[in-house]
Amino acid sequence: MPPTESATLDRPTGAGQPGSATPAPTPHRRRRRARLFLRYVLLSVGAVVILFPLYMAVVNSLLAPSQIAHQPPPFFPFNPQWGSYRKAWTEGDLGIYLRNSAIQTSVIVAGQLATSILAAYAFAFLDFPFKRTLFIVFLATLMIPFEVTIATNLATVSSLGWFNTFAGLTIPFLATGFGTFLLRQAFLQIPRDLREAAQLDGYGNMRFLWFVALPLVRPALAALGVFSFLGAWNQYLWPLLVTGNDNSVRTVQIGLKQLLNTQLDQINVSLAGTVIAVIPLLIILVVFQKQLVRSLTSGAVK
Amino acid sequence: MRPQRFRVAVVAPLGALALVLAACSSSTGSSSTTAAPAAATDSKTCSSASLAASAPVTINFWESMPRANGQTLQTLTDQFNSSQSKVHVNLVVQTSYNDTWQKYQAGLTNGELPDVVQLQDTDTQGAIDTQSIQPAQNCIAGFNYSVGDLLPRALAYWNVGSVQQAMPFAVSGPVLFYNKLAFQKAGLDPNAPPSTMTQLVTDAKTLKTAGQGGMGLKLDPWYLETEQASANQLFVNNGNGRTTRATKAVFDNSIGTQFFTDLKQMVSDGSATTNSTGGADVYDNLLGVGSGKYSMTIDTSAALGTVQQLLSQYPNVQLGVAPLPTVQTTPTGGVQPAGSALWVVKKSSPAKQSAAWQYIAFLDSTASQATWSAGTGYVPLRTSSAQSSTIQSLWSTSPQFKVAYTQLTSGVQSQATAGAVLGPFDVVRTAIVNAENSMFTSSVAPAAALSRAQTASDGLIATYNQRIGG
Amino acid sequence: MTTTDLAVPDESAPVRRHALSRRHREWGLAYLLLLPALLVFGVFTFYPFLKNFKLALYQNPPYPGLPSHYVGLSQVGSVLSSTSFHQSLVSTFFYVLMVVPVGLLGGLLLAIAAHKAIRGMSMFRTAFSSTVVSSVAVAAVVFGTLMDPVVGLLPWLGIDPHPAILQNPTWALPAVSLIAVWQFLGLSFIIMTAGLQSLPDEILEAARLDGAGGWTMFWRVTVPLLSPTLFFGLVVGTIYAFQSFGQIDILIGPQNSGFTHTNVLLYYVYQALSIQHDPGVAAVLSIVLFIILLVFTLAQMRYLERRVTYAAN
Repeated sequence: MPPTESATLDRPTGAGQPGSATPAPTPHRRRRRARLFLRYVLLSVGAVVILFPLYMAVVNSLLAPSQIAHQPPPFFPFNPQWGSYRKAWTEGDLGIYLRNSAIQTSVIVAGQLATSILAAYAFAFLDFPFKRTLFIVFLATLMIPFEVTIATNLATVSSLGWFNTFAGLTIPFLATGFGTFLLRQAFLQIPRDLREAAQLDGYGNMRFLWFVALPLVRPALAALGVFSFLGAWNQYLWPLLVTGNDNSVRTVQIGLKQLLNTQLDQINVSLAGTVIAVIPLLIILVVFQKQLVRSLTSGAVK
Repeated sequence: MRPQRFRVAVVAPLGALALVLAACSSSTGSSSTTAAPAAATDSKTCSSASLAASAPVTINFWESMPRANGQTLQTLTDQFNSSQSKVHVNLVVQTSYNDTWQKYQAGLTNGELPDVVQLQDTDTQGAIDTQSIQPAQNCIAGFNYSVGDLLPRALAYWNVGSVQQAMPFAVSGPVLFYNKLAFQKAGLDPNAPPSTMTQLVTDAKTLKTAGQGGMGLKLDPWYLETEQASANQLFVNNGNGRTTRATKAVFDNSIGTQFFTDLKQMVSDGSATTNSTGGADVYDNLLGVGSGKYSMTIDTSAALGTVQQLLSQYPNVQLGVAPLPTVQTTPTGGVQPAGSALWVVKKSSPAKQSAAWQYIAFLDSTASQATWSAGTGYVPLRTSSAQSSTIQSLWSTSPQFKVAYTQLTSGVQSQATAGAVLGPFDVVRTAIVNAENSMFTSSVAPAAALSRAQTASDGLIATYNQRIGG
Repeated sequence: MTTTDLAVPDESAPVRRHALSRRHREWGLAYLLLLPALLVFGVFTFYPFLKNFKLALYQNPPYPGLPSHYVGLSQVGSVLSSTSFHQSLVSTFFYVLMVVPVGLLGGLLLAIAAHKAIRGMSMFRTAFSSTVVSSVAVAAVVFGTLMDPVVGLLPWLGIDPHPAILQNPTWALPAVSLIAVWQFLGLSFIIMTAGLQSLPDEILEAARLDGAGGWTMFWRVTVPLLSPTLFFGLVVGTIYAFQSFGQIDILIGPQNSGFTHTNVLLYYVYQALSIQHDPGVAAVLSIVLFIILLVFTLAQMRYLERRVTYAAN
C-alpha cells in the first residue's frame, strides 16, 4: 500500500508498541528491556553518524586556522573564535548571497504554485477539447529532466539578455508538471456537490478557486511549497551557468563554492559560511516537518 | 461579447513551433570568418589621436587579483584616475583567472565584455583565436609608444606571429619555498637549497628520513614547461607556436623524461606526496610546510606575500625562497615568464580602446611597476623599476622577493625561453597531470607516461585546430 | 423535440446559444489557465529538448561568436566512440550503483529503528531527516574539509592514501558517492518511514499471529508490502544520483574529473558546454542521458507493475 499524503513522522505505530502484549514473565520483560536499550543504542549511533559532519563543521568554524591543521583533530572548540562568522558574512558576502537565494527561491516557489494551481484547476474542474492530449504534454515534461535542456536554455537565456539576472535564474523553472499533478489530485478530492452548490450560488470559476478550492487543499499547497522551496534553494548547476562573478544575482550555493576557493588559509571562514547557509533550512525542517514529509512522499500516489 | 471558438489544437502548434524553431534557428552567432589579421598595422583605431578627439570616457577593467594584490591595484588605479580627467577606469574584480576567461568567452555571445581585461598566460592563443582583441602592436603604433626597458622575455611571451598581442602585467615564476629550520635540523645547509632536480630528490629523502617532512609535490603541469624552457627546449612545435600555429607537442625528450623520473623517484621514496592545482586541497602543499608535513614545495612566486603571511603563524618555520631546481646541472635556457597580461578588447569603441591603452601604459610605467611589484611580489617589469629605491630597499630587507626577477632576467632569449603558445593549453595541461598521476597510482614508467601525455596532447591539439580552422 | 413540433421554440435557441457560449467560455478559460505553464514548457523544456537533435549535427569552434559548421552524424559517432565517453558511462554506472542501494538501505534501516513510539523518538527522527535540507554545496564543503589530507580527519584515522582521496583515481568516486549517500539518507529515511507507517497493521498482526518472527517477518512480509515504497525510493534515488553535479564540481573540478574517474555523464555535459564551449557535443551527451533515464524509468515501471500486483495478492 503506497504511503498516503497524510503520513507524518510522528504517528505512533500500532503493532509492536511496548506494553501492547499481555503481561509476560520476568525473563521476557528483561529481554524486552534489553531490546529497547539496544534500540536506543542503535538510534544514537545513527544520529551521531548522520549529524557528525555538520557537528564538525560547526566545531571547525570556531577554531583558529592554525588549530584546524592540528593532528589529531580537535573535536571541541575550547576557545571559540566567533570572528569567522563575521568574516564569512562580510568578506564572504554571505549576506548578499542569502538575499539573492531568498529572492530566487521566492520567485520560483510563487511561480510554481501559481502556474500549478491554474493548470491543476483546469484539469480538475474544466472540460475542454484536447484535455487528455494536454495532460499527456504535462506528463511528458516529467520525462525530460532539466539537465537535458541546459545546452539550449543557456543560449536562449543569453539571447534574451537574461544572463546574470533574476529573470534568467527563475523563469525557466516557473512551471512544474509534478506540481500540477499534485494539486490536480488534491482538487479532485473536493466533493462534486460542493462545486455544484457553489455554481448554483453564482460562484464563477475564479471565485470558486479562491474562496472554496484553495482553502480546502491547503495541505497540498504547503507540500508543494516546501518541495519547490527545497528544489529551488538547492539548485547548483543552473545558477552556476547563468550568474556572473559579480554578486548581484549569485546564489548562496555558488557563493559557498566561491568562499571555499578564495579562503585558502581560512577554512574556518568557509565552514562558518556553510553553517550560516544551512541554518535557515534547519529551522524550516523543524517547523515544517509535517509538510516536508507529505510533499516528499506524495509523489508515490499515482 | 462573443466568446471565441478555441478550436485551435494547442499541442500540435506547440510541438510544431518547437520543431520549426529548432530547424530554422541557426546554432550560433552570425559573425563571419574573417581572414587572419594581415601583417599591416592598424594605427588609427587605438591611437593618441583617437583619444584626443573624444570626450572623457569610462572603461571597465576585468581583473582577478586576490585581496592584498587587489588593493595595490586599486591604489594604482585611483592614482591614474585622479592624475587626469580623460579616462576613468572601473575595476571589476573576478574570482580567478579561469573565471575571467570563462566569463570573457560567455561575453562573446551575451555581450558583457570589458574594455581591458587581464588574462592568464595560457589563454594567449585562445584570446587571439576569439578574434575579439586589439593587438597591442596597433596601439604601440598608434601612440608611438616605446617599450623601453620592459623585460624582453616578458614582452616575448606575449609576442605571437611577430606581433605584440598584449602587454605583460603580473608576471611570476615557479620558485622553491623551503623551511630553513627544517633544513638545519636535518643537517642540511639552510643557505644551500637544492638547485637541481637530482639534488631535490636527495634532499627530500634526507629531510624525510630526519623526520622533518619531505616535499610537497603540487602537480602543476607548468613545471614541465618551465623545465623545458630552462633547458632551451621547445614545448610545442612551430617555434613554440610563435612562428605559426602549433600542430604537435614536442615535450617528450630527455629533459621531460628525467623530470618525470625525478618526480616518480621522490614519491616512490616516500619523501614526497602530491596534491592537485584544483579542488579542495589546492593549498595543501603550502599548509603542509606550516604543519610540518613538508619541508619544501614548489609554487608560484606570486604567492610569496600570502605564503609569508601564512607561515609566519608557525613558530617552527623560517621561510626560504630559491630558484626552481632544474634538470640540467647548468641550465642552457632560462625560466619562461608566467602570469597575466593586459588585453585591449576590439569590440569597444576606438576611444575606449585608446583609453584602455593609456591605462595599460600607465600600469607598465617605471613608477607603477615599482609600486606594483613592491606591493605584490610580482616581478618588476622594467629594469628602471627594479633599480628604483622602492624595489631596492624591498630586496635588501627581503631578498626572497628578488628570486623570481633574477630567474627571469638570466639565461638566453629564445623561442624556447619565451614559453609556449597553444590554443588548447588547458586540456593539454590536464593530459600532462593525468600522465604524472598515472605514474604514481598505476605505476606507469616515466618514459611511457610522458609519451602517453604527448600522444594525448597531439590529439587534443589536432581537434582544436580542426574546430578553429574549419 | 417531436416531429409534430415543427416550430422550434424560440426559448430553445437562446438556451442553446447560452449553453454554447458558456462552454466556449469554459474552453477559453481552460486554455488561458494552462497557458503560463505551457509557455514555460514550450520554451524551456520541449524546444531545448528537440533542438538537441539539431545541435548534435554541428561542430562548434572553441570560442563562442565564431561560426559552427555542419558535420552531420560524424560528431555523434566520434563522441559515442571516444574513450572519455565510455569512461563517463562507467563512472556514472558505478556512481549510481553505489549511491542508490546504500542510500535506500540506510534509510530503511534507520526507518525501522525509528519505527517505535518510544520517548525521544521525534528527536531522532528530526536528526535522521536533517540531511534533506543540507544543500549539495554545504555537503561538499563540509566533507571536503573532513577528507582533506592536511586538515581533515583521515590522517587521524590512519587513512592516508597517495594521492589524496579526492585526487585518487580509485577512491575519488567512492568518496563522492559517500557524500551523496549522506545527503540522500534524509530523503530516504522520510520515504521509508512514511512507507512503514502506511503498512496495514492487520496483515502484520496476522503474520505475527501465524508465528512469523524476526527475519521471516521482515523478508517475507514487510519488504514485499513495502515494495511500492522501495520502488518510489528507487526512482527518486536514481534521478537524484543522475543529477549529481555540485559535489564533483566543488571538490574535484573540471580539470581533474577525467583522471579521477568522477566524470559522470552530467558533469561531462557541463564540461562540454561550459568549458569546451561545444554545445554540439553537449547535445549528443544530453540525448544519451535522456535515453538512459527513459529506459530506466520505463523498465522500472514495467517491473513495478508486476511486483505491486504480486504484492497486492
